[in-house]
Amino acid sequence: MVNSILFILFGGLGIGCALAVVAQRNPLYSAISLIGVFISLSSLYLTLAAPFIAAVQVIVYAGAIMVLVVFVIMLLNVEAEERRRARMAFLIPVAVLLAAIFIGEVAFILKAVNFDVPLVTSDVGTTKSIGIGLFTTYLLPFEITSILLLMALVGAMTLARRAVILTSVSRLMSGPYVPPEEIEEPLVERTEERSL
Amino acid sequence: MMEGPQLSWYLVLSAILFTIGVVGVIIKRNVIAMFMCIELMLNAVNLTFVAFSSFFRDVTGQLFVFIVMTVAAAEAAVGLGIIIAIFRNRESLNVDEASILKL
Repeated sequence: MVNSILFILFGGLGIGCALAVVAQRNPLYSAISLIGVFISLSSLYLTLAAPFIAAVQVIVYAGAIMVLVVFVIMLLNVEAEERRRARMAFLIPVAVLLAAIFIGEVAFILKAVNFDVPLVTSDVGTTKSIGIGLFTTYLLPFEITSILLLMALVGAMTLARRAVILTSVSRLMSGPYVPPEEIEEPLVERTEERSL
Repeated sequence: MMEGPQLSWYLVLSAILFTIGVVGVIIKRNVIAMFMCIELMLNAVNLTFVAFSSFFRDVTGQLFVFIVMTVAAAEAAVGLGIIIAIFRNRESLNVDEASILKL
């Protein structure tokens, strides 16, 4: 009973925040709403007796990923999305109708199939059982995940780094200092060529 | 009469969240907003995994959620690097400006 109330509360909060993510025009407000979705999903994981995943959800998603996203939004000085001219506006009610039919179908199928099983308390969601599974049966996926993280690290650094173009005059030579304006092939030409 | 939320409740909630994420990816024009909608879809799938895992008392689903979170973190790092590169080249985050995949 308590779980049902919590489900309705946090499920409603999650759907509301998800709608806000899509409806907001300013990406920063979308990010804040997305944090709301993450927090409510974390609470739902607690009602499902999965405390480890709930904690990791808050730490990794709300803590790490969203900080990264908000950092990029602040860094890039993103402007709010302007309202676009609605082409084929007559399709909007049709789309809403089709979406309602789709959700109704899903709910009907899930109701008709009726594979509901009771949720009994078990130690499946504890840190101990997850750790045992992660380091015995699923050791190989775990290691592959670490390689994936290494690749993401290298890839992010490669992508975000400003490309340095070494021209023929920029090699290191011994001798007196030559100021850049006296070099006959300035670097500016190459960068202009690149931005075309 | 109500004996707690059933498995189908969680699945319907997950389907709703996933659909909202798909709609967001389709209608948004900002790259960062599309990225956040993709994160929303990943979270909807995670909810399905955890719900099945808890109701059928099998820890595999929660391990998979752990791996999905790692993939999401890697995706965030690389994806935001790509977004910074796009912004540096085009001074805009509108995906319509970047529809041709060349500089």
